Amino acid sequence: MNYSIKEIKARLQAQFSDSADLTVRELTLKSSGEVRAAVFTLEGMVDKEGLAQAALNPLLAYDFGRQTAAQAYCTIRDSVLAASDVTEISETELTAFLTSGFAVLAVDGAPELLAIGAQGYAFRGVSEPESEVVQRGAREGFTEPLRVNMSLIRRRLKSPDLVFEQMTVGKKSRTQLMLCYLQSAASPLLLQKLRDRLRACDLETVLAAGYLAEYLEDPNTSRLFSGVGISERPDTVCGKLTEGRIAVIVDGTPAVLVVPHLFVEEFQGVDDYSNRTYYATLIRLIKYLSFCVSVFLPAVYTALAQFHPEYFPTWILIKTSNSLSKTPLPVTLEVLLITFVYEIMKEAGLRIPKSLGHAVSIVGALVIGESAVTAGIISSSTLMVVATAAICSYVTSPLYPPVTMLRLVFIIIAGVLGLWGIVLASAMVMISLCAKTSLGVPYLSSLSPFSLRTMRDVFVRAGWKRLSRHTIKVQHFAETEER
Amino acid sequence: MRTEVKFSSKRFLMTLTLCACSVILLQNGSLPQRSSFLCRLAAMAAGLLGCFLIFLPSIWLRKRGGDVFSQSLPRAARYAAAAVYTACFFYTAEYFLFPYTDMFCKKYYPDTSPCVIALILLICCVYAALRGANVITRFSVFLFALAMLTNLLMFGGSLSSLRFYSSDLGIRGGFSGFSQSFLYFLTPSFTAVLFACLSGYTRNFRLRQPVIALALTGVKYALVLFFIAFAVGEYALRQEYQTFVLSRVAHFGAYAGIERFYMALSTMSVFMIVSLLLCAMCRSVDRNGSRGFTAAFTAAIFGAHMLAVYRPEVREFFTSPLLLVGLSVLTAAIIPSVMLIFTRRGHNV
Repeated sequence: MNYSIKEIKARLQAQFSDSADLTVRELTLKSSGEVRAAVFTLEGMVDKEGLAQAALNPLLAYDFGRQTAAQAYCTIRDSVLAASDVTEISETELTAFLTSGFAVLAVDGAPELLAIGAQGYAFRGVSEPESEVVQRGAREGFTEPLRVNMSLIRRRLKSPDLVFEQMTVGKKSRTQLMLCYLQSAASPLLLQKLRDRLRACDLETVLAAGYLAEYLEDPNTSRLFSGVGISERPDTVCGKLTEGRIAVIVDGTPAVLVVPHLFVEEFQGVDDYSNRTYYATLIRLIKYLSFCVSVFLPAVYTALAQFHPEYFPTWILIKTSNSLSKTPLPVTLEVLLITFVYEIMKEAGLRIPKSLGHAVSIVGALVIGESAVTAGIISSSTLMVVATAAICSYVTSPLYPPVTMLRLVFIIIAGVLGLWGIVLASAMVMISLCAKTSLGVPYLSSLSPFSLRTMRDVFVRAGWKRLSRHTIKVQHFAETEER
Repeated sequence: MRTEVKFSSKRFLMTLTLCACSVILLQNGSLPQRSSFLCRLAAMAAGLLGCFLIFLPSIWLRKRGGDVFSQSLPRAARYAAAAVYTACFFYTAEYFLFPYTDMFCKKYYPDTSPCVIALILLICCVYAALRGANVITRFSVFLFALAMLTNLLMFGGSLSSLRFYSSDLGIRGGFSGFSQSFLYFLTPSFTAVLFACLSGYTRNFRLRQPVIALALTGVKYALVLFFIAFAVGEYALRQEYQTFVLSRVAHFGAYAGIERFYMALSTMSVFMIVSLLLCAMCRSVDRNGSRGFTAAFTAAIFGAHMLAVYRPEVREFFTSPLLLVGLSVLTAAIIPSVMLIFTRRGHNV
């Protein structure tokens, strides 16, 4: 089939509903016969200067002599275009290439179309991710364009073993994504599961990686904790790839999804592997302790103050009962109130412009903190307990959403059933965590099912010599048991 | 319902160890006051040896690839086996639930109704049972950690209270004391029934694992007996729930309150046992289990518990170690033995 520029133009205009960003540059090539060509692009997706240098200037300068359209097409493909990425495509692929930022060259009467890689849109440069700040690691974070993110990984893993596998999701958005894995490390079974889940994704638009996280979770497991890891750091992702995990890089998102994701990973940081082992171990233990404090401290305080004040040491009991007796609310309501106020302030702090941040801090600290205690609306001990729990919850920031939910639920249960309620609720949470899997791998792996060999990187961080002795792949945790 | 699972036999036996140790957590004056520490220790050794013997038929049956609920059995035999096993699990669940709620209401929250406590606990157990036996055995790893911590605190906190008298180390109690203690120490044999029912799904099974499980149970029993005898003494023996008393008297200087850890451990243990028993009950009647069966058994357990709370004769019935041991021997030893004999005959023919 030979293509006609007029027909292609008409079809594209109909397809894009005469959209203003569809541009067509028609050219008459230098030849004795009349060979006509056209370059189709989408405004803003193409680097105009690059396109002119790589395609338009050479095309207009070249003398095609007596060549027919088909011959001219071959000459253009083989000798004229200076672009590094030139692909022959058919008309069915035309829209996909155009929307991906390619320029498409059509020669009137030629059998194929040529897609010229001249993408050039404005994007944010590589910068340090704000949510995963490290002391000693690299200062590079993922950015929005897919190809840049791929290069950030490839630069760190210069191995032919590293595979990028392209997929498209979103019926309308046609968002490109890459499955990234090490061929020798990733389990084919897990890979197939992941592909199947992504293919089953029936979203119309995928505008961020987070949209897909829900589709990658195992069915019938608790959604309180996430079975899908997310990272903005290429070094973190590379580390996980070597352990057999699979990364999902979504175009337009500076965060990469990593599966399978385990509970213990929430307590591991890039800095752990750069610091001295004893210090990294101390930090790990602090993280685990902070997690427990942030979940349980307000609830235990509520239960003790309301049901079992005798368990407070005497000096704390005197101060706490003094403080609590002056406030009008029962202790459970007081703890809940302060927790809610804190969450409101946190949300306000996140959303308002930075210049107003100080004002919010002052209002929060002075009005809510100082004045409410002085006025006798809340007790200082309750304020201190909630503040401590809030600070501790930031130590393991990826766990902030489940920790906040659990904290609230535990406070309510503690207010109704006391310590016994906390014990029962903890048992339920543990059961739900034990039942959770991430791509078939038990979420609590290393802890339960218990694996002594992998404990070298759970509560303690063993030295690199020991860690490198056996590389533990994530699929080792996957039970072969029939479920 | 996910009962159709295979899981590590080590983890499963650790779960059974925890279950076995739970008997002593809820110990309610079953030991005779007259017998001495050494006499009890001897009874304990004999009792645990008895438990091991009760384990053997199920282990042999398992080794031969048999199953107490084998599909090759005649339908009537399968129904009969299901009825007996379900009755045994039902009784065991009550045997644990009643002392727990009783202790809870007597020692911790005197104003609370045992039925309310049982109801809340059973609702949680249903949730766990619906997750399946595999998940419960995973949970047991954390329970094991809590048990270690609690025991460490309980025994460590009692060290300063240890008092040795030569009279305590003598041998006294006679045959009746010994037999009563022996019966009490046979109660962990209910774990063999759970093993017989759920072991069809374990893998990498070794004979030494029940030995280790029972040995660990023995160590825990010996320590509890030792501390009850020498740290709390005669006072504990006159009390109900002697392990609770031990946790109450344990202290580190001015810091006490270890009974809260004990409460957490006993709550979680009962939660785990009842959940596991619910799984086993569903497995007895339906290989795939179902939500309906779980709900029905839970309702039945709760109904029986209510009866036990209000009718002393029902309470007596549900807290008899003799009945528990009898049912355990029947289901863990006699039925698998009969099956072994028939399987062998079948092979010979």
